[in-house]
Amino acid sequence: MNGSDVDHPSVGIAPAARPESTTPAAPPPPPSIQTRLGRTLMGWSLVWSMAVALAVWLAARYEVEELLDDTLVASAEALHSVLPLAAPSPAPRPPLGAIHPERDRYGWQLIAADGTVLLRSALAPAEPLVPRPTAGFSDSPEWRTYGLALEEGGRWLYVAQTRRERVEAQAEVGLTAVLAALAIGGLGQIWLRYRVRHELQPLQRLSERLLSHDPAAAMPALGPAQRAELAPMHDALGGLGQRLQQRIAAERAFSAHAAHALRTPLAGIDAQLAVALQQAPVELQPRLTRIREAAARLQRVVAALIGLFRTGVTPEIQELDAESLVRRLPVPGLKVAFVGDLTVRADPDLLAAALANLLDNAERHGAHRIVIDQPQPQCLRLHDDGPGVNAARRDELAAALADQDYEGHTGLGLMLADRVARAHGGWLRLPATDTGFQVELQLGPLVDTR
Amino acid sequence: MRLLLIEDDELLGEGLASWLRNAGHVVDWCRMLRDTEAYRGEPFDAWLVDWMLPDGSGVQWLRHRRGLGEHTPALLLTARDRVEDRVRGLDSGADDYLVKPFAPEELAARLRAVGRRSAGGSGTRMALAGGVEADLAARAAYVDKQRVELTGREWAVLEALLLRAGRTVPKSDLERLVLGFDTELASNALKVHVSALRRKLGRGVVETVRNLGYRLELM
Repeated sequence: MNGSDVDHPSVGIAPAARPESTTPAAPPPPPSIQTRLGRTLMGWSLVWSMAVALAVWLAARYEVEELLDDTLVASAEALHSVLPLAAPSPAPRPPLGAIHPERDRYGWQLIAADGTVLLRSALAPAEPLVPRPTAGFSDSPEWRTYGLALEEGGRWLYVAQTRRERVEAQAEVGLTAVLAALAIGGLGQIWLRYRVRHELQPLQRLSERLLSHDPAAAMPALGPAQRAELAPMHDALGGLGQRLQQRIAAERAFSAHAAHALRTPLAGIDAQLAVALQQAPVELQPRLTRIREAAARLQRVVAALIGLFRTGVTPEIQELDAESLVRRLPVPGLKVAFVGDLTVRADPDLLAAALANLLDNAERHGAHRIVIDQPQPQCLRLHDDGPGVNAARRDELAAALADQDYEGHTGLGLMLADRVARAHGGWLRLPATDTGFQVELQLGPLVDTR
Repeated sequence: MRLLLIEDDELLGEGLASWLRNAGHVVDWCRMLRDTEAYRGEPFDAWLVDWMLPDGSGVQWLRHRRGLGEHTPALLLTARDRVEDRVRGLDSGADDYLVKPFAPEELAARLRAVGRRSAGGSGTRMALAGGVEADLAARAAYVDKQRVELTGREWAVLEALLLRAGRTVPKSDLERLVLGFDTELASNALKVHVSALRRKLGRGVVETVRNLGYRLELM
């Protein structure tokens, strides 16, 4: 305890429960138009590539087959004209040597009427390519063969191509088609990213203009829409700006009247007290001085609250000791204990207004003692020994604070404290507790202390 | 100083008027703008004008009076604290702008500042003839560095002449500045106070301009 008036456990307040996080989880970042379009195009590019490749492959397969078959026929006819058709010796000869064996894709055989291989190319097998003499095309697992019956001697000429070569030729055609489609898809993606970025620039510029826009000023600062698709957004923002401007004007008019209604009597009270101090007997002067000081604090709090409910007012942040701030607040009927260092960075008048209202709240709801500590930097926790609220009511209050839907759900104290916390970039939490009521005033973003 | 206070709020108006009178000022208090018509042509050291009054705007009133060629220093007392309000108030012809709530002590300090500007000085101490000094903040006069006790009326005469240093102040104006609009005093009251001042500070401080009034020169 640091200068505490009461011992924490003795006041019947249970040690602070681990604060239940009522902080709304940060929403996931929204999907990017550019990324989504890119992914869509990538997907469609793949499907399109596959479809095109399949179509090309099917078409090419037939055409390549036909072309290769024509080659076989032409080769057979050529051989037919150049081979010594009336071979003097029916005895088999060794295979002819290949000029370019590594590029040899074709084979041919000259078969005798009894099935003996009379002559063959280097690639052709020693056995006949076709078991039985067959004119025209025939297939085996390894060869596609074209047979031509020679006119003399019942001999046959077979010209064949390996099936592997034929498949390879078809695959090359298909692969080239796929690669070409993929290349087009990839280039399309790059182009699309560039275009999307370019087309989204007016949105970026619109955002920049909105960021620098004064809500109290007229909306034409947004300028004309740079894309037809943005025109409805410009119109909507223009309408919104106009409504906002009207609302701010009304709010300013109201706040001017409210400020007048509050500030003038406060000035009157101070003037009357100043006169009373001039005229009062000496023994009354300390009392009047204290009253005048309290009136001055009230003036500061009222000024802070008037400022808080205005648009465009920035808190005057400074480092301050919350304990000494609370000690200066009028909290009759409530004993306040302070635990640990309570240094925070905040606007003193706004924080005084928030704490005064929270303390007043606690006192009005039956608390007699309250403990103030700092569970983490920039966070003040107030734990009172009052009757507290049930879980359902606490959840209702927490939801109202999270949604800033105060009317009909929260009292003035919680609402003001929440507004002050939000003015500092923080929020108000209502952690669960076994006894009393607990409030955490987060005065700024959470700090990672790990 | 003779002050015209235009303030409709009873609590504030009465409090300020009482405090300022207790501090030695002469205060004429109007609750409405139309009440100021009774004070047309009256000499004042400063006007204290509320912005929002039941029968009109204090700023409009001030602009109108400036348009008529009246240059009495004016302080706007208002609850309007926005920058644009301050700018508008000062542009209407106000010499200073005080946001409510304020302490009467601050108002008094600003009045002294207005007085210094009127007298053409920058500090609160002013040197007069014959080794005499006057301190507007302390409301005190010194002869050869020794403080001289002056009555409230005597100081009021000295202050009124200090704020118009170098200018001849007609007797009738000086009477009203010192004694106020409603005060009924013997016709020679002013002469008595001036004589007392000369006796205490020396004859050279307050100069009589025959058939016109009095004048005081700063050194």
